[in-house]
Amino acid sequence: MDRSTELTLYVAGQTPKSVAAIRNLERICKEYLNSSYAVKVIDLKENPRLAREHNIVAIPTLVRQLPVPIQKIIGDLSDTEKVLVHLQLGDAA
Amino acid sequence: MTTGPGLDALSIEELRHRLHDAEETLRAIREGDADAVVVRSADEDTVFALAGGEDSYRAMMEAMDIGAVALDDQERLLYANAAFCALIGCGAADLQREGLFARLDARTADTVRGTIVQARDGRHQTQFVQTHDGADRHLMVTAAPLPLAFGIGSALTFSDVTVRVEAAVAEESERIAQAVIASANEAVVVCDRSGRIINANAAACAVMPGALIGRPFEQAMPLIFPNGSAATRTEDLIAMAGAGKAVKGLEAFAPFASPPKDLLVSVAPLRLTGEAPGGSVITLIDLSERKAIEKRQTLLMHELDHRVKNTLTMVLSICSRTLSGSDGLDDFRVRFTRRIQALAATHNLLADASWTGIDLSAMIRSELAPYLSSSGPRMEIGELDRSVAPDVAIAFGLVVHELTTNAVKYGALSAESGCVTVTGRQLERDLYEVAWTESGGPHVKMPRRHGFGQTLITRSLARGDGTGATVDFAPGGVVCRMILPIEGRA
Repeated sequence: MDRSTELTLYVAGQTPKSVAAIRNLERICKEYLNSSYAVKVIDLKENPRLAREHNIVAIPTLVRQLPVPIQKIIGDLSDTEKVLVHLQLGDAA
Repeated sequence: MTTGPGLDALSIEELRHRLHDAEETLRAIREGDADAVVVRSADEDTVFALAGGEDSYRAMMEAMDIGAVALDDQERLLYANAAFCALIGCGAADLQREGLFARLDARTADTVRGTIVQARDGRHQTQFVQTHDGADRHLMVTAAPLPLAFGIGSALTFSDVTVRVEAAVAEESERIAQAVIASANEAVVVCDRSGRIINANAAACAVMPGALIGRPFEQAMPLIFPNGSAATRTEDLIAMAGAGKAVKGLEAFAPFASPPKDLLVSVAPLRLTGEAPGGSVITLIDLSERKAIEKRQTLLMHELDHRVKNTLTMVLSICSRTLSGSDGLDDFRVRFTRRIQALAATHNLLADASWTGIDLSAMIRSELAPYLSSSGPRMEIGELDRSVAPDVAIAFGLVVHELTTNAVKYGALSAESGCVTVTGRQLERDLYEVAWTESGGPHVKMPRRHGFGQTLITRSLARGDGTGATVDFAPGGVVCRMILPIEGRA
């Protein structure tokens, strides 16, 4: 993974899956992303309009903005392998 | 679900991409991967929690009977359920407006903050006492880290454990009370209001063997009280306690015990809650040993009194009879002193034996010892393994003294070749014959007058039933046969 990797996690306050998604993303970054990366967490409860940028409907959703093309995965990110494969992160990248 | 640029303006690739996103979104919602959705409208976009998500979670929290609070990392209140509001007596709106710590007293706030700090590395629990509406209550606060979107907050639960703590204290108190009763040396019996036994310790069971629990006290332990006692019947004890009266130190007799016992009984009302006695507590102290000691002491006092009087009478008698048979004051002094010394020697032997009986041979050896030597008169004592009562021993001691005095003056002990032989023989019943036989001494003549010594010998051992002494002044040596009541083998 290179420095251009950018991830955005869309959550909705403290819903159980939002909280779990934050926790799981922290773990995945710590365990599988060993170089520079940028993660942004956006709480749509605070500003729902931010969902429009990436056309977010279901929450939580993790968006890989870079490298292109944009990839999305919906859910609490508890299936680590699915996350790594789907977003082509870490060794799966 | 979504709006955006007109679909006509999108490329096939983009349309495929949008379709994939839409299908993935529907799948995620259907399979429960998402618990919130963004719904767009012309005016504003809104986030809705899906059923089974936050709403149900909150519903569950509201239904809980323990107080639940969520704080963010700045101690700002995110959520407090109805149970917590009820616990601290505060409305949800006030709590939301003022914050959690503004509604807690300083001590409670410190405790909660301390618990949150302790819970940074994991769950932590603190139990504390809080004064609420003028009464103390026991609260338990549990803190756990609460991961939030932006930082780590705290999840707190508050439980009122007063009932549980008080129950534990009551249980511990009950356990201690049971242990105290069980380990008491005195017999302790606890009865309910009706007088039925509800508890009895091991000492009580020793007084009255068998099952006691459930039986009426007066049936289980029908005590007998002496005349003039505050209680005349066992039932009176229960009645006294029922009337709230405590009575100490009543003497009573327990004929049902094995062996029967003298008891010191106390009764007190059993106070549980409120003023009315909930039953009675009866303690019974076994006085049997103390009574036995008192009886023995009284007996000893009477015996001592009796013996002192007897001894004084004997001394007076010895004095008067020695005086009448003496040739002068010097003669009186010598004979009187020796007789009193003989009496004292017997007393010493009796004292050594604690006045429980004395060995006959020891008395004879003690009396004859000063007159015997390896070259002089001899003494042969057969087996005399008998003991006699103290009064018989005193008389026997005086008789042996008189026999010895006569033997020293006129008989076997006055010659080097003399010999005194003492033998014993068991007669019928509890009689024992001791024969004093002198030999090897001067020729014996019948004394011209019947002196005190002879009177003492022939009369002092006479106690009826064949007891007494006879003296035969045989030419070859005096023979005295003494028949004594004996107590058994020494």
